[in-house]
Amino acid sequence: MKLKKLLEKVEKFLSADPDTQASERKKVRELLRALKDKAKALRRQLEEIEDGEERESLRTRLDVVRAQRMKGVERIKTLRKKKAL
Amino acid sequence: MTRKQLFVPTVLLGLAIVLWFASDYMEIAVGVAFFLFGMHCLEEGFKVFTGGTLERVLRRSTDRLWKCLLFGTASTTVMQSSTLVSLITISFVSAEMIALAAGIGIIMGANIGTTTGAWLIAGLGLRVNIAAYAMPMLVFGVVMLMQSAKGVKGVGYLLMGAGFLFFGIHYMKEGFDTFQGAMDLSAYSMSGLAGVLMFTLIGMLMTVIMQSSHASLLIIITALAAGQVSYENALAMAIGANLGSAITTALGGLAANIGGRRLAAAHVIFNVISAAVAITFIGQLSWLVGWLASLIGIRPDDYLLQLALFHTIFNVLGVVILVPVVGVLASALERWIKPAPQSSEQPLYLYADALETPETAVTAVRKEVQHLFDNASGLIAHGISLKRSTIDSDASLQEAIAATRRHFPLDIEAAYEEKIKSLHSEIVGFIASARSQKNLEAVSDELYALRQASRDVAEAVKGMKHLHTNLVQYGLSENTAVRAKYDAIRLRLGKLLRQLRQLMQGETGELRALEVDAARVDLHKTSRKMLDELDELIRSHKLRPAIATSIMNDENYLMQIASNLLDAAQVVLAGGAVDLKDGLSLDRIELKELASQQEATERPK
Repeated sequence: MKLKKLLEKVEKFLSADPDTQASERKKVRELLRALKDKAKALRRQLEEIEDGEERESLRTRLDVVRAQRMKGVERIKTLRKKKAL
Repeated sequence: MTRKQLFVPTVLLGLAIVLWFASDYMEIAVGVAFFLFGMHCLEEGFKVFTGGTLERVLRRSTDRLWKCLLFGTASTTVMQSSTLVSLITISFVSAEMIALAAGIGIIMGANIGTTTGAWLIAGLGLRVNIAAYAMPMLVFGVVMLMQSAKGVKGVGYLLMGAGFLFFGIHYMKEGFDTFQGAMDLSAYSMSGLAGVLMFTLIGMLMTVIMQSSHASLLIIITALAAGQVSYENALAMAIGANLGSAITTALGGLAANIGGRRLAAAHVIFNVISAAVAITFIGQLSWLVGWLASLIGIRPDDYLLQLALFHTIFNVLGVVILVPVVGVLASALERWIKPAPQSSEQPLYLYADALETPETAVTAVRKEVQHLFDNASGLIAHGISLKRSTIDSDASLQEAIAATRRHFPLDIEAAYEEKIKSLHSEIVGFIASARSQKNLEAVSDELYALRQASRDVAEAVKGMKHLHTNLVQYGLSENTAVRAKYDAIRLRLGKLLRQLRQLMQGETGELRALEVDAARVDLHKTSRKMLDELDELIRSHKLRPAIATSIMNDENYLMQIASNLLDAAQVVLAGGAVDLKDGLSLDRIELKELASQQEATERPK
């Protein structure tokens, strides 16, 4: 099911016109930039907070943002490859 | 047969009799029919182009009152239809995409914009052989209408619309010329206040019947040109046409939600005040028109352009009088018109007009799902014996849970039927109607996602039914280990509700939707921790395996409720960015991996 969905998305992207592809790349880049800012803010908060539970929650949020950014970077790479094809 | 069903056949029969026995009216009637059909085509044409552009402009034009006025004036001037502008504005106010005060500003601007129609008819329509322009427009319009491309079809509608408008004006002019030979209506002209009031009423009735102040103005101007009405009476009829258009909007507003009703009321108030001022000072306004006409070079005997000038002046005067009190009027309307209390939950944002454009349809559904989510979170909070106000405050949830001595009395089955199921059914029904509409094809994925979100919310409450039964039975157990576990379940759910309600209060967007992932990781971690602790309690004989299994089942219900709520929240928060959310949001495997990694680093070495 997951693979089918992924293939559908790739097909949709490949059949999209260059403008749509460019706008998708732009949107992912913007989102990555926003996630980077968010990670910075979370790191700053983490330095200031002593409370164990709150620190743990912040660390989870930071790890999630990191994982999302990695996923976003991978996505940009895939989109670039498609552009080169 | 109801009275409503009898109305149209009666009108048609009456019209047939009039046209049969008084054929002099035929050309006038054809003119009105062409004019109205032309307006309908124009509206259809503009609707093709409202799939984003008009909405985007509208959103950007509503942060200042002057921008709202300008937008209302400009859009009505271009589209020559205050009805379409009012309809879209009502949709936007109803979906809370723009504020009521901004909506009032646009409606006021539309009133000024609609006066350009009088200039068009008086200045151009009756002086130039307008039918000559109409013919090529209709030919090109029909050819373009037969094309499959949406944009070309839209232009086709616009050309057809303008063509039929021009034809309508032409036939009205011809009709009144013929009519003039047969009958002299000017013999019925009245002077004084009685005349003003009588012709205001006639103008109003004409507009209510034809549902178009433009069509009324066309009749008034052509009748004036043919000498069938006096200039003074024509002025009063123009005032009546304005009042009539407010009644048309008011009737439309009745079908809308609370926002639409408030805006329709504002339109009526605005037009009634403008009309009252115009009637009271009709002598002075008439003098002002004469003076201004001489300044801008309109001949003293050119009553057509003077009527157009009068129409513009009294609408602008209404705006000038009411602009300083728009804010006061908006807050007064919010106080006066309140939603009626209902026994079962009624949708706040779903109404037929929201289906007019893709953006309003999606926003209305999203807001309604948010409304459903709000109801569900309140119900779930009560299910774990926490007040909604406690969830929304900064108070310690841990302390509130530890202090619980009695469960809240709650018939969760009845509450589900009343607050959740009824609303969920309305959302599903609305989306079904939306998906059958061609103009909403572009947003069908978003609507599908929102329907799933609505279902997730309903499923979350269903899960709460099971959890609630066990919470009532074991939640306040004398056994401290059992109580501690149920308190932990309540705390996790309470924290999740607080987190989601805080997220829901802010702006929507991809970034906010992605924040939901952190709550999912937390959920996985705390679930594993609880299951490990239960194992330990069984091993150390502090908990009987039978009780532990019940807690494990309830832990499972908690996970289902939380997962459903998180799925729904992510869709609502994404604000339309369904693909992006899917792209960067972590999937189940990635979430579990991240939770395991975190647990490994947190475990004492």
